[in-house]
Amino acid sequence: MKGEPKELRFTVNGKLHELQVKPKALLSDVLRKDLKLTGTKRGCLESTCGVCTVILDGKAVRSCSILALQANGHQVTTIEGLAQGDKLHPIQEAFINHGAVECGFCIPGRVMMAKALLDENPDPSREEVRLAMQGILCADSGYVKQIEAVEIAAGKMRGGE
Amino acid sequence: MAKKKVKKEEKPGVILKPEEYSIIGKPFPRVDARAKVTGEAKFAADIEMPDMLWGALKRSPYAHARILHIDTAKAERLPGVKAVITGKDFGGFKWGWSRETRDEEPLATTKVRYLYEGVAAVAAIDEDIAQEACELIEVEYESLPGVFDPFEAMEEGAPLVHDDRLGNICVEYHWDFGDVEKGFAESYLVQEDTFQTPRMAKGYIEPPAIVAYWTDATHLTVHAAKGSPYFSYRILSNCFQLPLSNVRVIQPFIGSDFGGTKNDMVNGDFAATMLAKTAGKPVKIVYTQFDELTTCLRRHPMWITIKTGVTQDGKLKAIQTKVISDGGAYTRMSPLSNYLTGACMTLPYQLPNFKTDIYCYFTNNPSSAAMRGHGVYHTRFAGDVQMDMMAEKLGIDPVEIRLRNAIKNPKPGKLYETISKLHLATCGVEECIEKAAEAINWKEKKKKKRVEGFKAYGVGVAAGTFLSGAKLSGHNACAAIVRICEDGSVNLMTGATDVGQGSDSIMCALTAETLGIRLEDIDLKRVDTAHTPVDPGTYGSRVTVLAGEATVNAAKDAKRQLLEIAAKEFGVKPEEMEIKNKKAFVKTKPEMNISWERLVRMACYTTPGMVVIGKGQSTRGISVYGLTDFSSGTGDFGTNYSFTAQIQEVEVDMETGLVRCTDNSVIAHDCGFPLNPPAVDTQVVGGAYHPGVGAALYCEFKMDKGLTVNPNLVDYKLPRAYEAPMTEVIHVITNDPFGPFGAKEASEGSTCTAAPAVINALHDATGIWIKELPAKPEKVYWALKEKRSNK
Amino acid sequence: MKDFEYFAPKTVEESLSFLSQYKEESKIIAGGQSMLVIMRQGLLAPENVVDIKGITALNYITYDEKEGLRIGALTTHRAIEKSPIIQKHFGVLSEMERNLATIQTRNWGTIGGNLCHGDPAGDPAPVFIALDAKLKLRSLSGERIITMEEFSKDMLEVDLGPDEMLIEIQVPPPRLHTGIAHEKLMVMQGDAGIVGAAVSITLKPEDSVCEDARIVLSNSASVPLRVREAEKRLIGKVISSHLLAEVGEVASAEADPPSDLHASAEYRREMVKVFVTRAAAKALERAKIG
Repeated sequence: MKGEPKELRFTVNGKLHELQVKPKALLSDVLRKDLKLTGTKRGCLESTCGVCTVILDGKAVRSCSILALQANGHQVTTIEGLAQGDKLHPIQEAFINHGAVECGFCIPGRVMMAKALLDENPDPSREEVRLAMQGILCADSGYVKQIEAVEIAAGKMRGGE
Repeated sequence: MAKKKVKKEEKPGVILKPEEYSIIGKPFPRVDARAKVTGEAKFAADIEMPDMLWGALKRSPYAHARILHIDTAKAERLPGVKAVITGKDFGGFKWGWSRETRDEEPLATTKVRYLYEGVAAVAAIDEDIAQEACELIEVEYESLPGVFDPFEAMEEGAPLVHDDRLGNICVEYHWDFGDVEKGFAESYLVQEDTFQTPRMAKGYIEPPAIVAYWTDATHLTVHAAKGSPYFSYRILSNCFQLPLSNVRVIQPFIGSDFGGTKNDMVNGDFAATMLAKTAGKPVKIVYTQFDELTTCLRRHPMWITIKTGVTQDGKLKAIQTKVISDGGAYTRMSPLSNYLTGACMTLPYQLPNFKTDIYCYFTNNPSSAAMRGHGVYHTRFAGDVQMDMMAEKLGIDPVEIRLRNAIKNPKPGKLYETISKLHLATCGVEECIEKAAEAINWKEKKKKKRVEGFKAYGVGVAAGTFLSGAKLSGHNACAAIVRICEDGSVNLMTGATDVGQGSDSIMCALTAETLGIRLEDIDLKRVDTAHTPVDPGTYGSRVTVLAGEATVNAAKDAKRQLLEIAAKEFGVKPEEMEIKNKKAFVKTKPEMNISWERLVRMACYTTPGMVVIGKGQSTRGISVYGLTDFSSGTGDFGTNYSFTAQIQEVEVDMETGLVRCTDNSVIAHDCGFPLNPPAVDTQVVGGAYHPGVGAALYCEFKMDKGLTVNPNLVDYKLPRAYEAPMTEVIHVITNDPFGPFGAKEASEGSTCTAAPAVINALHDATGIWIKELPAKPEKVYWALKEKRSNK
Repeated sequence: MKDFEYFAPKTVEESLSFLSQYKEESKIIAGGQSMLVIMRQGLLAPENVVDIKGITALNYITYDEKEGLRIGALTTHRAIEKSPIIQKHFGVLSEMERNLATIQTRNWGTIGGNLCHGDPAGDPAPVFIALDAKLKLRSLSGERIITMEEFSKDMLEVDLGPDEMLIEIQVPPPRLHTGIAHEKLMVMQGDAGIVGAAVSITLKPEDSVCEDARIVLSNSASVPLRVREAEKRLIGKVISSHLLAEVGEVASAEADPPSDLHASAEYRREMVKVFVTRAAAKALERAKIG
């Protein structure tokens, strides 16, 4: 039957969820509405701005551009899953301390993209950081502090200063 | 007492050296950064309420049409639909940015004036049903011929967008200072050019969103992405005939605004509030980027004809401009946007004669309104590019010609007055130009032309200004409340709205600095019109200067109450005491002190019923020198003015015309005193890149008879990270007496300098002048080809 | 987006079964990076959606010196970009992928989905044509192999029956003395090219005469366009920069580019000259090295 809900079984931030979702539901809808994880933002809804970016099986993806059911059996990490209790992730700290946070709307997607980048490549070049940031639009910051914050976080994560 | 205080502030007061401040002038993290990086910060679209319905809008498929009939019966019958409304439900209410310009309806009733204008709305149990119901609403239109740019609009016999606005004129100004004809006659070189600035999106990534509900028949609450919540509160109060005290606008975190739509109302705001009333349940409407890019406010496209006369050594004798702009379907803020195209032309250079004629036309396009660099950027672009054109003819270096014309920084206690009666206590533009040129090694870069294969490089300079602490006619009241709790923690309540520019953090820092306590001790209450004092909102770069002033005054008031108690305790006069590092002490005998917490407890428990609440307002919101006169263009519309000089290097692919900014990029910015230097840096860099370089190289709405041809963020190119120059920011400190702690606005100045700097750099690299923005590759390519064939 | 019937087969056979049953009433979705956009816009509303993203058997990159490269249709763009095998033997594919859209798109979007979408502005198809690639298609009735060039029929139209699936892309082993390059005009990194060119040049080692050449354009016609007249100009000659410029002109004359909001047809023609020359020059350099 068209639109009949199907079972979605997937892990979000380490927790297993079992839901019934309509086939046309987007991953971002399920995260925000069903799981109340509103940290992942709803932006353009047309795959252009990237603020809905989450990590799926270690890779950064746009959650508005994935059918929720495609996440069946997969692991998703959202911004809410980054900090360990009160302890912030080095990327989150770098963004705060380096003044890379402005209105904040692109930040959850951007931080998740940065995490995916640094998990895969702990010592990215400036070019590689730019390429990663290219997928998430900002309207305010000029991107400079954000690029620098990712580099600072990379240094910290490598065991640097 | 209060009057004396105001008088004291007029003179350049004792300004502490930065080392003497505890918080101000040093880097400090934003107070809301943690909430944003963890995802806890809630934006309007994140807000959920029990029993909440989703709203959707029915939009017109015509750019200009009469509405003959609306039939909502089928929509009402769809299961899951809880309310359907049309424009008629608003009882003839019209609204506008000012009392004289109320020409827009919450939802159109008799006529639609731009494509996708809202005519009806539905609330239903989910988004899908709401949209399906909209499709079931049947609307009969009579299509009308329309006008789609100012040149069509101004033609004799052109269709009228508003029947009562002849000639489709939205607003016009004619100002005349000095004697431009005499100035031209005395000039060595006179030149006239026409420039064009593009129709642009505001570019914020968070589309407008609202959740509205009624707690009873006469009490309305909305959570909305509003940059100036008090505009909404007044408009909703008028719309629903409610006392202001019953209208509650609560501000969530806001994903930027830039002076645009979130400063103002959209169809969705009225729809959500009326639907909520009708359905008796909360209603949420969230726009998509498609809605934003097709219906929300744009930056005016403008056609600027500028005629300038200079002496043989490049000094300005006279400037005359004619500005034509496309205001779109409704008046909105066009009177102010267009006024500003002329208002700043007497800055940042010395100008003895200035004349302007400004015309803004109605068209059947979505309305135009403010955007960062409001009005000023258009004519600054024209002026600073033409200055380079003329400098080249005279054989004068672009940095040199600007230094020759720059307004000099007035001596302390003195004011510089322009021919249009703007007053400056500080003007750091000369130092900005010098420092920028030095930082980028201007002389070296200009000496040798750099070419690498098919890539040519060039540098360009521009200088600019922007008003700070906008003072407008009408309601300017701006206040703050500082409430000291019995345990020494502090609540700050301000109506000022942080749209991402960091004002919340600045207000907290100003409070903590004034009270002599730590930033962490301040808890800011975000705007909630039920509790926070009124504030005009976030526009015109007014928040730091004016809301900042109110905040400092409120903190001073609270401090005064505490020091009166402490002074009594120590047997001295209150002015003999100070509070610093959470200790109140006698200035000449610091060993006589009391901790902040003890003092507060003492104050709270000493007199029965005493509460320590500091109240402060901005006095500068009311013009010190006389209200701005829009019709003559005279008077200060800013409390003070920031100054910027920008130098940008570009790389041009000579075979394709593609232009890229390189990392050789510097902005020297005079914001009086940077209250939080890293925050100023980001704002300055972002101000230059997004709206500035965006206009110069990338951004442009393409229109086809009212239809937006590129309504998505890939076809409408918003500037991205890969192409962003790693710009260096230099602070020029002038310590303005009219701003809190010497501060002026930060970063709208750089929105005005980026485009001319890039275009001047493009000329330096290639010899071509691009006068119509953006300088897309194809445009540059044909210009290069033409230049080669002319040789 | 309208509701649809949804199937998520785990094997190719299961998937082919659905397609055979529903034919024109069904649409395959892989990564959905192209399809979801048009579905959300309401331009596409299939009754049945066959979600093949979960068919792990089609996610592979293998290389054999004799057989060449085999890429499963559900391999992501990012996997191609990062594959050591591809970087070593078919570097041009990795380079092309690096410039394709954004990382998020490449992490989820598949090469098969991209090729079946049939966008003449797309980057992979021209590069695969330059590589002389073939596609393996399968239905319940059997398999067929066609060339990448034959696959493209018209704008957004490919030679894929309603009951067929793309299984893999086959690229012959790299030839000696052959260089391949891909260049496109991007305003911003990751943009679809205003135009693009993929060029393969094979030289005779003894005298550096061009033995074989393929020049394929993107966004210059309704399909990825092989400009054969331009190719012919190179064959049998020692390639000079003067010849490259001439070839660019010929390619430009063969092209039939669109005019749209990003560029006029006239400008695109000029850019064909530039990018054919640039890609050919790079391919030539690579051919000389080995």
